[in-house]
Amino acid sequence: MRASPILSEVTKTAVAGQSHAVRVRDVTMDFGSGSSPAVDRASFDLEKGKFLTILGPSGSGKTTLLRMIAGFQRPTRGDITIGGKPVDAAPPHRRSVGMVFQKLALFPHMTAAENVAFPLKMRRFNPAKTPARVREFLDLVKLGDFGGRRVNELSGGQQQRVAIARALVFEPELLLLDEPLAALDRKLREEMQLEFRRIQRELGVTTINVTHDQREALVVSDDIIVMDGGIIQQHAKPVEMYRAPENLFVSSFLGVSTFIDGQVAEGGMHAADGSLLRGTPVSVGLQTGQRGRGAIRAEQIRIDQDQGGLSHCDTVLQVAIKDVIFEGERLLYTAASPILPGVDFQIYHHDPEAFDLYEVGQQVWIGWKAGDLKVFKAAD
Amino acid sequence: MISATQRRVFWGLVWFSILVLSLPTIIVLGASVTSGNMIAFPPEGFSLKWYEKIALARDIRGAFGRSLIVAFVCLVISVPVGTFAGIALTRYRLRFTSLIQIYLLLPFTIPLIGSGIGMMLVFGNWGILGHVWPVGLACAVINLPFIIWSVSSSAAVLDSDLELAAANCGAGRIETFLHVTLPGVMPGVITGGLLMFVLAMTEFLVSLLLTDARTVTLPVQIYNNIRSIITPDLAAISSVFVVVALIAVWLLDKLVGLEIFLKSK
Repeated sequence: MRASPILSEVTKTAVAGQSHAVRVRDVTMDFGSGSSPAVDRASFDLEKGKFLTILGPSGSGKTTLLRMIAGFQRPTRGDITIGGKPVDAAPPHRRSVGMVFQKLALFPHMTAAENVAFPLKMRRFNPAKTPARVREFLDLVKLGDFGGRRVNELSGGQQQRVAIARALVFEPELLLLDEPLAALDRKLREEMQLEFRRIQRELGVTTINVTHDQREALVVSDDIIVMDGGIIQQHAKPVEMYRAPENLFVSSFLGVSTFIDGQVAEGGMHAADGSLLRGTPVSVGLQTGQRGRGAIRAEQIRIDQDQGGLSHCDTVLQVAIKDVIFEGERLLYTAASPILPGVDFQIYHHDPEAFDLYEVGQQVWIGWKAGDLKVFKAAD
Repeated sequence: MISATQRRVFWGLVWFSILVLSLPTIIVLGASVTSGNMIAFPPEGFSLKWYEKIALARDIRGAFGRSLIVAFVCLVISVPVGTFAGIALTRYRLRFTSLIQIYLLLPFTIPLIGSGIGMMLVFGNWGILGHVWPVGLACAVINLPFIIWSVSSSAAVLDSDLELAAANCGAGRIETFLHVTLPGVMPGVITGGLLMFVLAMTEFLVSLLLTDARTVTLPVQIYNNIRSIITPDLAAISSVFVVVALIAVWLLDKLVGLEIFLKSK
């Protein structure tokens, strides 16, 4: 009787070890006190060497999930496997996981090199080889000459790099990034995003990144998981996630969209006045006549002075321009149609030649292809 | 901008404060170098003979040595206790935290004479009166809140993720404490330790009750001398005290920086 569960455990471990660096199964974190779980039955697999981003608003449970993987919190239920080994009983210091913290958590009483050497010392790395290894990883993050500096003598970007080197120096099976870029200004943040990507590719280390920055998720990731309310909403590749959101939340969280409420119809949805807006149903089990909500991205709406210029579109509407925002590389128009009261269309307009094409109050035509208006179940 | 009048008033206040605060020290320092036989300010002439006298006086040297022992015993007890208590009260969610805090601050709320009599009775009962080390224990107990405060204020500003980061680097609980938590609160420990040292060196009231003729500490010795005859050697002893305190402050500034000391509650 006792042999079979052990055998199955071994088989599971072997299978997991082949392809998945991380395997999360039905992981739940319930803090009790009657509130809904912080993380509710989260399951996903991550292939070795891949970069996964968990994206979600604050309070979505993404950080709790990350902290459970790091071992700082124990799941109420569920199993986590890292590198083929179940880690449920392992305390954080026995896991082969490196982490870059949100506030970096560099040891202030140590130099940059001492910070990087610390995991080697704690993990009983050969002391004779430590200096060379530390140097190698400081070079990797382009801080070769800064090893002797104290942490508070380094700039924000340099501190980021020390934190990365410290997380990677012991060659963990998994790297965790807990929004380390959130506090940086935009230019440095974008630079560090690409830097994370470069280092991750160079070492081929499996990485899980947590962020609320959708741009960062799209730029750096192989895979994205969108979380909300403790539940994984969608797990997909960046392009897929952006182009084919599976539900309203994902659709609204990524990109800029216009939402239209109406009745689900064959080949689209009916607006309040009964006219057909061509679209594509997305939600499973969506039925004609049901209340639905359409979503269309700002860059998928075409805009033109004449109806004739939109002949390739499946639906065209006449709208009045309500607002124009100049965003540098593009314009963002807000426009309204009399047949869709309460709906403000958000329209991106790229034109390298001419800007300020349309003025507020002007009547223009907008249109879209049927594939671009995604129809979801109306939110309850 | 402040006007010239305001500036004059401010500087007037600043100089007045500096003068008032340092006046006793200046007078004592001045009186200690007198060449006369009476304690007086301004001194009559200049001489270091009173320093020579206290350096040669056996009772004063003995009392000074005993005060050092008291301060040392006080440090040995109060630094570990204060450090652990300060860290635990700040970093860990303990049950009854506020009750423990009140309990640890009790020595502060009881008048020293009360603590002194209490400890005299208890120590007498234990049969340890007449030794020097119980005075150190007493100093540790009555001044413990100082080092707890000092360590707590250091621990409170420590990023709680540091300990998680240490665990993530592979450090177990004891290694995390030794390599990360303890160095993190070290400014508070040093500040508190120096404070405890100075307080134990100068503690008078409780020591008066706990010492006898063979175990007098320096402040008690001074008091005994005052009662008989006031000579400039007392001013010289006081000057030595001032120098010891200055060395402590200088050490503090070197080791942790004075602003941490001034920030600690």
